[in-house]
Amino acid sequence: MAYVRGRVRASVNAVEHLVGGLGTATLALGALLWSVIVAVACVGGVGLLAVPGALRVVRSVADRERARLSRWGDRIPTPGPVPDGLRTAVHDPFVRRELGWVGLYSLIGVVAGLVGVALPLYAVQDATFPLWYRLVPPDAAPGIVWWRVDGLADALWVGVLGVGWLAAAIWFSPALARLQAWPGRWLLPPPPGVDLSLRVAELTATRAAALDAHAVELRRIERSLHDGTQNRLVAVNVLLGAARRAVRRNPDRADEILGQAQDAAEQALGELRTVVRGILPPVLDDRGLAGALAGLAGSCAVPCRLEVDVAVRCAASVEATAYFVVAEALTNVVRHSGASRVDVAVRREHGRLLVSIEDDGHGDADETRGSGLTGIRRRVEAYDGRMTLTSPPGGPTRMDVELPCGS
Amino acid sequence: MRIVIAEDDPLLREGLALLLRAEDLDVVATAGTPGEFLVAVDEHAPDVAIVDVRMPPTHTDEGIVAAVEARRRRPGLAVLVLSAYVEQAFATDLFSVGAVGLGYLLKERVGRVEEFLAALHRVAGGGSVIDPEVVAQLLARNRRTDTALSELSPREREVLGLMAEGLGNSAIAERLFVTDGAVHKHIRSIFSKLQLPPDDSADRRVTAVLRYLDGDRR
Repeated sequence: MAYVRGRVRASVNAVEHLVGGLGTATLALGALLWSVIVAVACVGGVGLLAVPGALRVVRSVADRERARLSRWGDRIPTPGPVPDGLRTAVHDPFVRRELGWVGLYSLIGVVAGLVGVALPLYAVQDATFPLWYRLVPPDAAPGIVWWRVDGLADALWVGVLGVGWLAAAIWFSPALARLQAWPGRWLLPPPPGVDLSLRVAELTATRAAALDAHAVELRRIERSLHDGTQNRLVAVNVLLGAARRAVRRNPDRADEILGQAQDAAEQALGELRTVVRGILPPVLDDRGLAGALAGLAGSCAVPCRLEVDVAVRCAASVEATAYFVVAEALTNVVRHSGASRVDVAVRREHGRLLVSIEDDGHGDADETRGSGLTGIRRRVEAYDGRMTLTSPPGGPTRMDVELPCGS
Repeated sequence: MRIVIAEDDPLLREGLALLLRAEDLDVVATAGTPGEFLVAVDEHAPDVAIVDVRMPPTHTDEGIVAAVEARRRRPGLAVLVLSAYVEQAFATDLFSVGAVGLGYLLKERVGRVEEFLAALHRVAGGGSVIDPEVVAQLLARNRRTDTALSELSPREREVLGLMAEGLGNSAIAERLFVTDGAVHKHIRSIFSKLQLPPDDSADRRVTAVLRYLDGDRR
């Protein structure tokens, strides 16, 4: 049963990919036609002026496909804009591969996409046909059915055919989706050698982001020390001053004031603990990521279900980031979501740490409001990770974070 | 003396009110935001306002801005600004509109109740108070750039600091365990080295010292 459910889920995902792929494939077809027109015009000489424009069109379509494939599997870095000059543009290693891709993908992508979309449609149409066969004339059976349908028995055969389509859709969709993605997976990644320089550019950018995230982090710590702990201690000081004055005049009152001072001191300790825990949680060292997250989940005001499946430990900085992400996300859930439960799942897969937090609150979380989500994104991207947030109005809100394990 | 307190931290706000009320001072209103504070100033016509520098929404210098605005609306309102740390630019902003009835103290001074109350009364009486820490930083900064200041002896620098805090001659003498006459001599010497007019009223002295210390920024 679980096997069937897995197959069905895989094929639903595959159909989703096929539909997306059909979109980029249609664009690729357009880009191909334009390129051919420009190439023909070049024979007469007039087309040369239009070559850079055509290359840019191809690049932008290819970038869409790169983004689509990156969302789905291994990341494909984007090479940036096409070089300006005609000569350099033609010699650009990406451009040649992209031109090959546009030709291949216009065919394979469109065909695979159409078949992938048509299969489930036929399945639904034919499987339900016995319910509505009376509504159409006998010789106008729908879809790929060439025989005359007279009466229920014939209609039922069409229904059986629909079930066959369904089986085919479930069976073949994942393979079709892989086939559709193949030209991009083959030709769109940077050729060997070029990859490194791209990687360097990307690392430079993420390093800057890391420094930035670091500064934000310091700012946050400074703020919480100043506005929390220090103010508490000032209050303790003020109350102690008042108590000393009261001792001389009104000893009963002094005791009351000393009580308040002690409360303030306890609050200061509590806040200091929170700040320190936010810097690098000592519990990570003691109990590992699973134990530390269990502590977070246990102290969360919204009931929290936690699933951790991390057999091998990750680098300390990655674990600290994951811990920070969950802590920050749970704070958001408690403060803003109005949720009644929240699920946290952490697992390690192919050298990446995958963290997801989902609540049943009212959704509509906006990254541009408030710095909590921005903070999470920055910290995650600083580690070369990825963060996606889906939060439609009305909920639910789901955050997915992916971090390279670094070990 | 009618007092308004503007402080966003509730615990500290209540602590201050409690302290002052225990001293039979009249705390007529407390406020947690700059907006509430200005309303309270309009409504209660206080003599003194005690204002925290960091207030919502951005927790930077809202308190200073509010204090300057309150003094514009109610000329003669004495303001004692409390700050968690020394930010010289804030002090300079505050005193740029004149030093009469103005004070700038670190929050931790409040715990020394006698000194805090003395400062409060001095400000309410139209005097000026500057935190010793602010003075020390101003001196340290100016010593590097200013030759006149570097001519002061360590003792004279100490006296200058106490003057900036708004202390009178006898109070300075008491702090330094010297005679009034010795203090008087130091002050004359300081004024002549800094080429300041030998005026002896306490607030004029603070103003003069500040203006001198801050001279390179105007």
